[in-house]
Amino acid sequence: MNLLVFTKRVPATQEEELRIIDDGNKIDLSKVPFKVNDWDNYSVEEAVRIVEKIGGTVTAVSIGDSESDEVLRRAIAMGAKDGFLIETENILHDPNARSTLIYNFLKKEGLPFDAIFTGVQSEDDQFAAVGGILAAKLRIPFVSMVIGIDNIENGYAIVRRELEGGLQERIKISLPCVMSIQTGINEPRYVSIMGIRKASKVERKVLKASDYQENVENMIELTRWVYPLKKEGATLLSPDLENACKELLNILKEKGVYQ
Amino acid sequence: MSYALVVAETRRNIFEERNMDSIGLCSLMGKDAFLLIPFGDYNVNEQYLNGIIKVKVEESMFLNPVVMVNILEKIMASHGKPYLMVFTNSASGTELASYAAGYFNVPIITDVSAYDKERGTFSKSYYSDKIFGEFKPSGEGTFIITVRSGSFKENLCDRNANPSLEIVEDVETNTTRTFMEFVEEEKSGIDITKAEFLLSIGRGTGNNEEVAEYEELAKLLKAVISGSRPVIDKLWLPKTHQVGTSGKTVKPKVYLAMGISGAFQHIAGMKDSDCIIAVNKDPEAPIFQYAHYGIIGDMHKVRDKLKEMLKEG
Ligand SMILES: Cc1cc2nc3c(=O)[nH]c(=O)nc-3n(C[C@H](O)[C@H](O)[C@H](O)COP(=O)(O)OP(=O)(O)OC[C@H]3O[C@@H](n4cnc5c(N)ncnc54)[C@H](O)[C@@H]3O)c2cc1C
Ligand SMILES: Nc1ncnc2c1ncn2[C@@H]1O[C@H](COP(=O)(O)O)[C@@H](O)[C@H]1O
Repeated sequence: MNLLVFTKRVPATQEEELRIIDDGNKIDLSKVPFKVNDWDNYSVEEAVRIVEKIGGTVTAVSIGDSESDEVLRRAIAMGAKDGFLIETENILHDPNARSTLIYNFLKKEGLPFDAIFTGVQSEDDQFAAVGGILAAKLRIPFVSMVIGIDNIENGYAIVRRELEGGLQERIKISLPCVMSIQTGINEPRYVSIMGIRKASKVERKVLKASDYQENVENMIELTRWVYPLKKEGATLLSPDLENACKELLNILKEKGVYQ
Repeated sequence: MSYALVVAETRRNIFEERNMDSIGLCSLMGKDAFLLIPFGDYNVNEQYLNGIIKVKVEESMFLNPVVMVNILEKIMASHGKPYLMVFTNSASGTELASYAAGYFNVPIITDVSAYDKERGTFSKSYYSDKIFGEFKPSGEGTFIITVRSGSFKENLCDRNANPSLEIVEDVETNTTRTFMEFVEEEKSGIDITKAEFLLSIGRGTGNNEEVAEYEELAKLLKAVISGSRPVIDKLWLPKTHQVGTSGKTVKPKVYLAMGISGAFQHIAGMKDSDCIIAVNKDPEAPIFQYAHYGIIGDMHKVRDKLKEMLKEG
């Protein structure tokens, strides 16, 4: 089983204050730490588990600047055989542009695969679109929100996809296909600094995005960035810890959930 | 090219409420809305529609991306290309929409929660709602939007006419992907939807060792413990304790959220709680927009202080 896994390096913005600069044209990420996209971490793990069980290879691919090599090394430390970096300084916001670039790369390099794994979504742009667009371009079937792979072998896979409110559906899909992997499908293994350092010795191929530009155009245009509209928002309790806790307990009493 | 094609999301013969946001966007944009829906007994709010197109296929076929593109191809052949196609931003909607965008090679903007009529731009969330990007499709031609639930319902406007009804048959099927069965969640233990007071913890909890400390706090407060998705993914709490679109929708008297940022999939599951209290060290966390009360600070310190006060009695 040859599995291609797409993995993206994203800013970890959860605890950061984000500032829009250049008249709404840019977001200042200069002080923000970066990490592997959470969804891709689960997807790499799932791919590695499959080849550990039934044999084959996992190849990791990332599109981004040279720093994205970091997520490839991480994937190799987890068990991927090798990695490709499609290098570009441009931020491709449009998922169509990213998928077309990937499509051209796959055609030109002729990488063999039985399945392509992506994450359900990127943490930063939340498009949840690259996997589906790519599958359609390749004219192969697609399944997203994959929360369990019950079986994968000779030309097909049986997977569970997550719907709403705890409900899942089981489907059969023929290979090759694209699967978008949902978080929680497994418990990703721990990756040590040592492991990543060791992975540096495995070759990662660096390719230029400019070699795969056919039909790569932005089909959507970003006009500006804006902050969310502020609603009334929460009434803030005291900045003093003790007082804040007292106020909190009073609210609970007032609401009748605590005596 | 003036009509909008709304692709309905149905689940086990229910017309999902969030379709009303897709139709609402059409109202806001001033486009005639044609609803594409599987053939069946669905309860559709007809007054907001210009037309209903029923497709003679099983629901599971309709919601299958490799079949949906054939359906869309057929509709476009008879009706012409729509101005836009609208899907829900959910498990089925995003799957169908992204596949259709790639198949027809058309622009797509997902998770849209606002439309600026003057500028013709669609707002989509970035960084879990910390920033929004205003996008528009470049060039002319059909484009695809997925709509965030709850965003455009208020824009619905009555069409004052009976919508046209059309039935589409002979859809080309495709067996490269087939539905087998639904898998229900195992029922076990506590039902968090019945709790009056939920203490809900998020990724800010940090690690598994801390979880027990929050369980102890919940016990002292006589609250039931629940969590955001990462907490369940990491197996810190059982799946039945997850709040959000892919977990449970809850409506307790008090929802105390600690270390939860407020992504819309989480908010959708708890926004109707009577009283929401959020504890988060990031003053910009989107959850503060939905909470009634907020504490900006370290959740562990708040936890320890509360425990100390509760133990003192
Ligand atoms: C299809 C789909 C379905 C989904 N379904 C769900 C769902 O049902 N439920 C759900 O919750 N999510 C769901 N998600 C995931 C959702 O998008 C978010 O990723 C998730 O809700 C984030 O959880 P969080 O707020 O706990 O974590 P984060 O977004 O990482 O936020 C952690 C927060 O903790 C704060 N924090 C950190 N340390 C501390 C501290 N010491 N003290 C105080 N605050 C601290 C940070 O400032 C941050 O705001 C779904 C996603 C997809 C794509
Ligand atoms: N720049 C990128 N490099 C590698 N993979 C990517 C990139 N962008 C998107 N992907 C893949 O596509 C998935 C969905 O991304 P998105 O459509 O942007 O939400 C991600 O989880 C990745 O697996």
